Amino acid sequence: MADKNKNKDYEIANDVPNVDKEKFTFVQQDEKIFDKKFETKPVGYFKDAMIRFAKNKTNVYATIILFIMIIMAIFVPEFTTKRTSGTESHVRYMPPRIPIVENFGIARGYEQIPDQVVDRSTIGTIDDYPELGLPFADRFDHEHIDVSTLENYTISCTSGDHCYGGQGRFQALEAGEAVFQSGLITFEFENNPSLEFIITEVTGDNTDVEIFVEYDNELVSLHTFDSDGEFSVDINDAIGEDYGTFTSRIRFEMTTDSDESFYLELVRFLENGSVVDEDDVIDVSNYSSIPNSDGDLNGAVERRNGELLYSSFEYDRYTSRYSTRSVSEMSGSRFDEIINRNPEACEVVSGTEGEGSWEYAEGCPISRVNSLTEIDRGEITTRIYDVEVNYMVERGFDSIPYHFFGTDAQGRDLFGLSWKALRTSLLLGVIVSFINITIGVVYGAVEGYYGGKVDLLMERFAEIISRIPWLVTLSIMVALLGSGLGTLVVILIFQGWIGISGVTRTQFYRYKGREYVLASRSLGSKDSRLIFRHILPNAIGTIITASILSIPLVIFAESTISYLGFGLGHGTTFNFLGVEFSGVSIGVLLADGQTQIGSRPYLTVFPAIIISILMITFNMFGNALRDAFNPSLRGSE
Amino acid sequence: MIRYTLIRSVWIFIVLFVVLSINFTLLRLAPQFPPPDEDQRSLYYERQVHDGMFSVRVEDDPEQMQAILDGDVDLPDSSYYFREPSAANVQRLRIYEPVPIPQQYANWVENIFTEWNWGTDYTNTPVFQVLQRAIPVTVMLNVFALIFYIPVGFALGIIAALKKNSTTDNAISFSVMVFISVPSFVIMTLLVLIFGYQLDWLPTRYYASDITGFVPRLQAFILPVLGSSFGALAALTRTTRAELTEVLTSEFLLLARTKGLTRPQAVVRHAMRNSMVPLVPGIIFSFVGLLSGSVVIEEIYSIPGTGRIFVQAMRRNDYNLALGVTAFYTTISLVSVLFVDLSYGLVDPRIRMGARK
Repeated sequence: MADKNKNKDYEIANDVPNVDKEKFTFVQQDEKIFDKKFETKPVGYFKDAMIRFAKNKTNVYATIILFIMIIMAIFVPEFTTKRTSGTESHVRYMPPRIPIVENFGIARGYEQIPDQVVDRSTIGTIDDYPELGLPFADRFDHEHIDVSTLENYTISCTSGDHCYGGQGRFQALEAGEAVFQSGLITFEFENNPSLEFIITEVTGDNTDVEIFVEYDNELVSLHTFDSDGEFSVDINDAIGEDYGTFTSRIRFEMTTDSDESFYLELVRFLENGSVVDEDDVIDVSNYSSIPNSDGDLNGAVERRNGELLYSSFEYDRYTSRYSTRSVSEMSGSRFDEIINRNPEACEVVSGTEGEGSWEYAEGCPISRVNSLTEIDRGEITTRIYDVEVNYMVERGFDSIPYHFFGTDAQGRDLFGLSWKALRTSLLLGVIVSFINITIGVVYGAVEGYYGGKVDLLMERFAEIISRIPWLVTLSIMVALLGSGLGTLVVILIFQGWIGISGVTRTQFYRYKGREYVLASRSLGSKDSRLIFRHILPNAIGTIITASILSIPLVIFAESTISYLGFGLGHGTTFNFLGVEFSGVSIGVLLADGQTQIGSRPYLTVFPAIIISILMITFNMFGNALRDAFNPSLRGSE
Repeated sequence: MIRYTLIRSVWIFIVLFVVLSINFTLLRLAPQFPPPDEDQRSLYYERQVHDGMFSVRVEDDPEQMQAILDGDVDLPDSSYYFREPSAANVQRLRIYEPVPIPQQYANWVENIFTEWNWGTDYTNTPVFQVLQRAIPVTVMLNVFALIFYIPVGFALGIIAALKKNSTTDNAISFSVMVFISVPSFVIMTLLVLIFGYQLDWLPTRYYASDITGFVPRLQAFILPVLGSSFGALAALTRTTRAELTEVLTSEFLLLARTKGLTRPQAVVRHAMRNSMVPLVPGIIFSFVGLLSGSVVIEEIYSIPGTGRIFVQAMRRNDYNLALGVTAFYTTISLVSVLFVDLSYGLVDPRIRMGARK
């Protein structure tokens, strides 16, 4: 264009009225142009569609995202360094951890852990939070706990080792005498032992309780009470000795005229005036009812208003799991395999190999061998190692890895697994759509081309097929073939072709009467030539659009069926063109996540987001294609 | 019109019969899985004999008995026998053998037409009784969904069409794209996750049967209704928008405006009614879509409806029950096809169904 107008005056266009007449010249007056070639390039059907396609920016972005997702689905499972198959229970249910984002406190690999019993000895040991306590170290390593998220709270309890506070309710079951006793206490007279009691309530008017210790096979009365109060008993005074030791239980004898009870809040054992044992753990296992003088068991002890101190906190699953862990029984072959993987790194730095315990250099997966047991079984000697393994090094990571989406119940990396699942879903979508399109196009072409009775019969048949609810197909296929890939594909194909056949049929009705078809027919073309050379190419845009839009529909149906458990599943694999595909599709992942949705939402959220984005972009891409190929359909459907 | 209705009804009935017959026959070809419990199993086989699916005979010849126990005698597939102590302290074998499938089919048809007997399920409860409990739940859920999505979908579609190419329209169109694309079970799962678990506003599963009171029951309906209707809502919005946009540019609407009608008057009286023609059949079809889509919703939200019963029946290979449920779904979908066909003539008097060209 530009060349042609080079010597023309551009001002003409805007202000024609002000142009001098002389400035007007003819473009061509003498020249004949009917044999001249066009200087512009012709715009073909597909190029025209491409231009229209590129005009809508939203759709272009959607298409770009879609292709990025497809590329990731193809390559991420191939190149990921993390496991996406097998079972490794050590790293199961790792919370998501994403670089950069983790600095803002989101997805930083910490798991919220509720309801852990507090180890009371840790209260006061944390610098900034002196009033808080940590859980027991054998369950949660204290260094991996985020102290800033630590919270302590109490719940009521009636028994258990860690139940504190409250009162013991010592109840007589019926009128008469009820006898209770405590655990054993050793008294040393030199240390001036004494006991302090706090009684919070005594019910009934005629309830008396007498406290005894047993000394020299005789019961020595310490105190008697019939109402609430605090009192202290000096053992030396009560027994009248000041040398030697004895061991006794504290015995409560209660006489009452009904099923009354007394509440004991605290028993404190002091020596020389300082507390030795503050027995406020009024535990049912410490105090028990024993037969009274008549030989009847007339008492019951239970805790009232006890408090169990719980903590909740965020726990760093990454540093805790990808750190050193001890494996007490590692077989010799496994040990050799780990060491031989990188023999240079596994240099003994302390101790002697094979004797007692020894340590390896830092880069070695096995950091320390605690002991080596050799079992002689005749010819073979079996070695069993007690070792400490650095899990991170053992798995071949230089630093603690990032599981972007966390890990699932089998310890598989959900990020890699999601793309792997997407690949399966996409592949199934493409294969099934291809089959559907082939059947649909042929069926629709025959219907549309021949028309008349053929069309009528074939339409009725397609109608009957399309009227069958998918539950019927599903029930038949599951009953005859069982759940699995075959069932899934048959269900997806059974009705999947009908849409495409309808589209093709309409296009054939539209084009089969055109003059050029008639011309070709009168020149002796066969039906097949007319169909495939003359009519089908006209319908190609519509068919492409319908095909692209059918892929997300297939993925949709596949994920639903797999979600219900009738399609693909764990453990199944299938082979396509020599490539092994996992039987895990997005529907399967979501079905897995469903059982944990309350406690581990990330198992659901990430696969759900991935399939949602895929479906949205796929549909936008399909719609953009349709708008491009067939502008008159824009906005409909 | 009457003739057309009759022909369509008969045609629908034929299709229904054919589909169910195929379904029955193919399910009967599959191996049968009787209940694992011993007592239930003998009861199950007795029911089967009563329904004409199995024949029973008693074998008391010791040699024959031993041969059967040793597996030397070829019994037909899915046969079953158990020892039956008799008075004389001589053991007998009670042998159940399936009758040929054509005969089973004949008996099945006869049972349904004469006694309305659809067989029994895994727990020897009549299938129809199970369905009677489940169908109201499913239908109620879907009617709620219908009541929710039709007005909302219309409203959104009209707004989008009237404010075409505005920000509102773009926002609505984008949401429509999202809700049409994302599978309903993903939407449902996310809804349960957000409103059930994270925000704790609504129950995370359907109410247990012992819960009474209107409010808790209604609350349990909110999430499944939303989850199952979002897809249909988006589809309705999109069609309404497309149809209305087309009608709004038509000449008769221009005429309506030129004769002095205000825009709302023109839209409500002229545009809406004309855009209804393709919408009403769409809504009737969407009810079928809702029903079959609610299978997975019911499974997620533990709703004791037909969908959940179907999934459970298939997992236990309880084919009688599965057949009953599919009969329900097939009937509903075929009846709605009939309604759709008839509705064309009602919505648009210009269309005369069944008229000769």
